[in-house]
Amino acid sequence: MLRPLALLLPALIPSWRFFDVIAPSPRIEYALLPSADASADWREFRPRPQRVSVATMAGRLAWNPRWNETLFLVSCAERLVDAPSAHSENEIFRRVAAGLGPGVHEPWLALRLLFVARDGEALVREVLFEASPRRLSDLR
Amino acid sequence: MTLETATRLTEVLLALALLQQGLEHLRGPADERVLFGARSVLCLLLIAGVAQPWPLVGLAALSLAILWRFQGPYNGGSDRMGLLALWCLTLAALMPTRPWREVMFGYLGAQLVLSYLISGWVKVVNPDWRSGRALRDVFQFSAYPVSEDLRRWAERPRVLLAMSWAVIAFELAFPLSLLSRETLIAGLVVAATFHLANACLFGLNRFFWTWLAVYPAILWLQDRLF
Repeated sequence: MLRPLALLLPALIPSWRFFDVIAPSPRIEYALLPSADASADWREFRPRPQRVSVATMAGRLAWNPRWNETLFLVSCAERLVDAPSAHSENEIFRRVAAGLGPGVHEPWLALRLLFVARDGEALVREVLFEASPRRLSDLR
Repeated sequence: MTLETATRLTEVLLALALLQQGLEHLRGPADERVLFGARSVLCLLLIAGVAQPWPLVGLAALSLAILWRFQGPYNGGSDRMGLLALWCLTLAALMPTRPWREVMFGYLGAQLVLSYLISGWVKVVNPDWRSGRALRDVFQFSAYPVSEDLRRWAERPRVLLAMSWAVIAFELAFPLSLLSRETLIAGLVVAATFHLANACLFGLNRFFWTWLAVYPAILWLQDRLF
């Protein structure tokens, strides 16, 4: 009972520090593997589209589940690096597995978190977390 | 605006905002469908005005289960404002006397003002925001821009500098809108436009509906205090 109340407290006494600091930003990358120890060909999960029309933006005011799930995964990725927990790792694995759809033949899924940050004028990318591969059949 | 009208309006707008979120979760995993299906039913009861205050109490209790499910808010600040509004409305409905109901609902209105003022303050004391660099970072590498084309805005430092100061000025000046009913309505129109822009550029649609739901609280509080 105490844990949900502790989670509620920041909502009842909010800090309202939106975008006070632009922190390193996570990208979730995945690889499908024939075996747990195979080498990985990493791909970004849900890369953003090149262009989004004004009509699509307007429609997303009422229906935006995919993007909101992506933002939740960003929160999980940040939590996983700040305060590692099985919950965050499980959420990312399950939602990435579900997002891959049915036409996947490789049995193993590997995940890693790549963080993008600015160093001077350059963007730097650093892998801060890599999970042990899991069987896709266990995630669906 | 009377306390009763303002709380009722906030209840209905919040219930609609939560319904919109709930529908999005109905495409998720089974346990989410159960939680958000139950929440949607309670929202419909709240909109219908049936069995008050129990739909609010049920929603508040369910909010703890949802916080537990996601180990925090699902969508950060927008969920936090939704929780604040829900708990203020619930506590206001359960208070035995009118002064306490006013305190609970007034707290929500005050937090709305603080949400803009503090956001503006943390930006204006940050040199990266004052130079436009922070907003450039948002477009260049943060997780929020909804398309790659939007990232190119990072190549327009003068535009972003102007946008940064426009946001800072609006957020810091928002409390001044409380001076009169006309200025408050104008302030809320600007604020809603700001949330609309965030929804379009960064996909933050939940902020738009949740903040809009709380506007009756500040309209009532201004009436009550000034």
